Amino acid sequence: MVVAGNVNANAAVSVQARSVIQRFGRTDVLKGVDLALAPGVFGLLGPNGAGKTTLLRTLATILTPSGGTLRLLGLDPTQPDQRRRLRRRLGYLPQSLGYYPNFTVAEFVEYFALLKEMPSADVNRAVARAIERVGLSDRARSKLKTLSGGMLRRVGIAQAVVNEPDLLLLDEPTAGLDPEQRVGFRTLLREIGEHGVVIVSTHLVEDVAAACSTVALMDAGRIVFQGTPDHLTSLGTGHVVGDSPLERGYSRVLAEARA
Amino acid sequence: MAKHPTDAGHVAACAACQAREGLRGLDVDLDRVWFGVAAEVWARPVGPVETALGRLLGSPGLARALLTTPSLLLSWVLASAAVLAVGAWVTRTTGEPWVALLAPAVAGAGIAYAYGPGVDPAFELTQTMAISDRIVLLVRGLAVFGVNAGLGLLASLVAAPARGVTLAWLIPMTAIAAFALAVATLTRSPGTGVSAALGVWMAIILARAAGTRDFASAAEPGPLILLYLVSTLGCIALVLLATGGTRKDAVRWL
Repeated sequence: MVVAGNVNANAAVSVQARSVIQRFGRTDVLKGVDLALAPGVFGLLGPNGAGKTTLLRTLATILTPSGGTLRLLGLDPTQPDQRRRLRRRLGYLPQSLGYYPNFTVAEFVEYFALLKEMPSADVNRAVARAIERVGLSDRARSKLKTLSGGMLRRVGIAQAVVNEPDLLLLDEPTAGLDPEQRVGFRTLLREIGEHGVVIVSTHLVEDVAAACSTVALMDAGRIVFQGTPDHLTSLGTGHVVGDSPLERGYSRVLAEARA
Repeated sequence: MAKHPTDAGHVAACAACQAREGLRGLDVDLDRVWFGVAAEVWARPVGPVETALGRLLGSPGLARALLTTPSLLLSWVLASAAVLAVGAWVTRTTGEPWVALLAPAVAGAGIAYAYGPGVDPAFELTQTMAISDRIVLLVRGLAVFGVNAGLGLLASLVAAPARGVTLAWLIPMTAIAAFALAVATLTRSPGTGVSAALGVWMAIILARAAGTRDFASAAEPGPLILLYLVSTLGCIALVLLATGGTRKDAVRWL
């Protein structure tokens, strides 16, 4: 069980998963995941195929768990009314962001603000703030088809944060961002993590070290490590695989989980 | 990412930084001012049709989804045209009733595909939105059938062959789509709406074919055309009444 902060103190802003299973056909992609998260930035590490994206899609209410229970922000996502209330407070950036090429940046962010049922009177200001936060003010009226991959990634982040979400789920958010943008992005994560739960799936351990208060390592549908980045780093002492202390900790835990 | 460089070169070229610098000596919230300005400048003009639809549906988001997805408009036309073209060809060459019988389901599936993962690039994101992608689909389905039926009726005035397609397929499909949306709205379940609509369609066909086993005739609306039209208008009125505007007791879209 991953525990970050005092979950019971504020169940309305928390993620609680118990023995969550996700089954596709005969394959269990998630094999009983337990999580208990309070506000903060939570890093999800793991190799390809570990189940990170499936876990995020489950938390994003795209997939209904095949087994186990979920409480997100104090709500049950299997109940339509509660799921709807949850989605108003949810931000999600998929691994592969689909977009409408002829929308402008502002139109795209506004479109999803409206679908999140933000009050109409607040939408334009929220859109401006989200675009500013991702540093795309100078491209707000540019069509998406004219943007670079890194800019599109930032558009995706803008639509995810436009409603000031209490639960923010980001799948490989820093892919395509340059180092300066990644630094700014980590600041944004920490800001949102002050009041909400932020879950970031990534391959980049330096993102975890810089931005996350808690980290979990997934392998083969299970969480095989949970703790602080410092704890994971300490586990790498004496291990030779990896270019940084945190990478050595990551490699060691993974190797032991597979042993 | 929102941090701007502070060097003179950047400030000289950046309107936002110049505005901040100019206001720095004043006792104002610069971010608030900037977001207010940006919100005004970047805001998309909302047309009268979208405004009216937003009020009618009680959901600006639903109105936006219905009206302003320009990159998807082509798929509306293609889905409708493909169903009608194939249906007309099969009916003419075989004389079998299956096309008329299955037309609502086939057209519905076509629209679902057009707005599903196969074509809609942002489908995954829409699945996480408070306004259900399924209710958006039902509203879009009704809109497509309704527009096509309207165009079909107009075409019937000048081209006789359009009359058959309009009466046999488009009007019944519009009625079924409207019924599905009405049931979905009142039961707060898109799945229930679709199931009920398909169930009613099958019941009508089976009841009319019970004595004769003539499914081809059963699928033709014949004397039921007036019922379909009245039913369509009634269901739309019911949906608008139930979701109407800003009433506190209005049914909310799932």
